Parts: sequence; C-alpha cells; structure tokens
Amino acid sequence: MMTAGEILLVDDNPADLDLTAEMLSRGEFCGQVRTVNDGAEAIAFLHRQGKYAGAQRPDLIVLDLNLPKKDGRAVLAHVKNDPALRKTPVVVFSTSQAARDILGSYELGANSYVTKPGDLQEFALAVKSIQDFWFRCARLPQEEKQL
Amino acid sequence: MAVLSALQEKRLRDERQRAVDDLAKKVEELARSNRELEQFAYVASHDLQEPLRMVAAYTQLLAERYKGKLDEPADKYIHYAVDGAKRMQTLVQDLLVFSRVGRLNSENRDTDCNVAVEIAIANLQVAIRESDTHITHDYLPVVLVNPTQLAQVFQNLIGNAIKFRGPKAPQIQITVEKQPDEWLFSVTDNGIGIAPEYCQGIFVIFKRLHTRTEYPGNGIGLAICRKIIEQYGGRIWVTSQEGVGSTFKFTLPASEAGSRQGQNHDDRR
Repeated sequence: MMTAGEILLVDDNPADLDLTAEMLSRGEFCGQVRTVNDGAEAIAFLHRQGKYAGAQRPDLIVLDLNLPKKDGRAVLAHVKNDPALRKTPVVVFSTSQAARDILGSYELGANSYVTKPGDLQEFALAVKSIQDFWFRCARLPQEEKQL
Repeated sequence: MAVLSALQEKRLRDERQRAVDDLAKKVEELARSNRELEQFAYVASHDLQEPLRMVAAYTQLLAERYKGKLDEPADKYIHYAVDGAKRMQTLVQDLLVFSRVGRLNSENRDTDCNVAVEIAIANLQVAIRESDTHITHDYLPVVLVNPTQLAQVFQNLIGNAIKFRGPKAPQIQITVEKQPDEWLFSVTDNGIGIAPEYCQGIFVIFKRLHTRTEYPGNGIGLAICRKIIEQYGGRIWVTSQEGVGSTFKFTLPASEAGSRQGQNHDDRR
C-alpha cells in the first residue's frame, strides 16, 4: 500500500511542474503536491517563513538543479546542513546528465539523482518509480508521537 | 659588396622571421576558433535539450490524450510534431557526444587494441549473434590513446559492417600493418559497399546515404571515428566496391610500448 504524504516540487519551469504533477496524479499517490519556483522560495517553505507560515514539512523534496536566485545545489546544501531538515529525503530531478552534477549532488547529500527523461513514457515511469520507492518501498522518518 | 650582401642577408632573415611569426599567429587563431566551435556545439546541444524536452513531452501528451478525438489531419499533424521532436532529440544528443570527443584527449594511455576490439565486440554481441557475424582480427599493437575512444572507433566500424551487410552473413577482418612511424589498421567487410562518389562524404557529420526507413541512424558514427582518429594525428578513409564490400582504413601513431605485432588470431563467434 502506498503511504500518504507530502511532496515538495522545486522547479522554475511551469511546464515541468505541470508534467511532474500530472504524472504524480496518475499513480496511486494520494498525498499533497506543493510546488515552488525558485531556491529562495523552497527554503522559505521549508522553514515556514512568510506566506508559508502554515506549510507542512514535506516527506520528500524533488529538486531541480538550475534554479533562479538560490540554485538547486545551494538548496540541497542548506537542507543537508540543517539539523531539522536533513532527515527529509531529497531527489534531484534535473535534465543534466553531466557527471559533475551527479557526483556533486551526491557529495552534497542527495538521496538520489534522477535525470529527467526526454520521452513522455519514460518521464512517466521515472516519476512513478520515485513515488513507488519513497511512498511504498522505503520507510520514511516519522516524528515520534506522544500517545 | 660585402656590405650589400650582408644587408640582403639581413632582409631575407627578417622576412623569414616574419613568415614564421605569421604562421604561428595563424595556428594559434585556428586553435582558438576550434576551441570556440567545440564550446559552442557543447553549449548549444546542452541548452537545447531543456526546451526540446518540453516540446517532445507535450506533443506526446497531446497525442496520448486527443488521439482519435479530433479529426484525421489533426492526428497526422500531431504525429509529425512528435516524430520531429524525437528526431531532434537524438540529433542534439549526437551533437553533444560529437562535441565531447575533443574534450577527452587528456586521458591518453597505453592501450591494447585487442582489448579495445573485445570491448567493441562485447557491446555489439546482440547484433553479432542475430546477424551470425564472424569477426577475425590480427594480434593488434598497443597505442597511446584514450581507451574508451578507441573502442568506440572499432564499435562504430564493426557496427556499420553489420548494419550495412549484404545477403550473406557478415565476415569482418581486422588487420594491422606496421608503417615507418604509424600503424595502419584495416576493417574489411563483405557488405553492400559504397559507391566511389560517396566515399569522402560519409565522414561528414549527419551525412547519410540511405533513408531512415532503409537504415536507421543519424549519420554520426563515422564522423565520430574521424574526429577521434584525427585528434591523434591519424587519418581515416575507405575503399569500397559496391556489392562486394568495404575496407575502412585508419592510422594511429606508433608509440614506444606498441612495437610488437603478431600473427592471425581467430576470434570465431
């Protein structure tokens, strides 16, 4: 069974956000999908600052690398260096196939790196694999609840 | 008299020096313009991928969602758009691969050509088995190159020999001859061959002799071979007879370590 959860999509390209959200809605994923368009927004969202005061902590961050203002690498470094955020898994989802970007992302602590496929079917499969893995296969960190 | 000839000598020396300086400047300019072109091809193909991915994805999404719901021409137009975008994606990918060839020559080391051929054969094993291809090769020398790129050259040449095969099962022979300062490699097949007027043009990027329905591909393989071979100071060319077969020949500089040469070594598959 797929667990419910919240995904934060960070991407500056509205066409890519729509496409990813569309593919997520096709699967069994029944949680929330939130989207932000640049790195600074992503960090504000994660720290519940400004207009994101009421935001939930996401269970998974899907992060593009090339973003305006603060780019994906800076967001990744920030998340993985912040004690409150570092447990949240980050999947880097980028067009880049450059070894430098892949290696760099893992060095900064990315939980996985997925290249955005050019073909629609393969794109759909990539998104489905991400949600299947993180919300069906893997166990996510939970805050300990007081009974 | 002596003064005059000394003056003449000086003038000649100055002229010669100027010619040498001019040449050095031209070489430097050419090298820079080459680097810039390579950089341009890399950036263009890299940055084109992103918007192109959007065109491809959304035309496919249109096709998926509205196929059979609009009219017949609309289905056809969408199909053309999807097909064009997909083809452009492979072209851009190929351009990226091509532009990367020049960026790897710092990774040269002593490379056993026998191993490079084995890697090429392993990468092509499905095509080799399905076409019942038989490959033999001489005992090949060691050369100073980037091993991945050398395997790529053999893979493209063997792959072409299989792709452009004749009615009989492909027979491919890889032989080598020692020349004064270089090795001369030959890859001979019994395929469909190439008409003499096309033997030069086939090494140009995106040049194809057949339609995509006859033979798939973008016309990048031989262009990559040429770029790799030429960056090591070698040459590549083809001799061919239509209906009989082709021999692709290329040279690579002989390195110190590679001074052995062997006999026929059968590699039956």
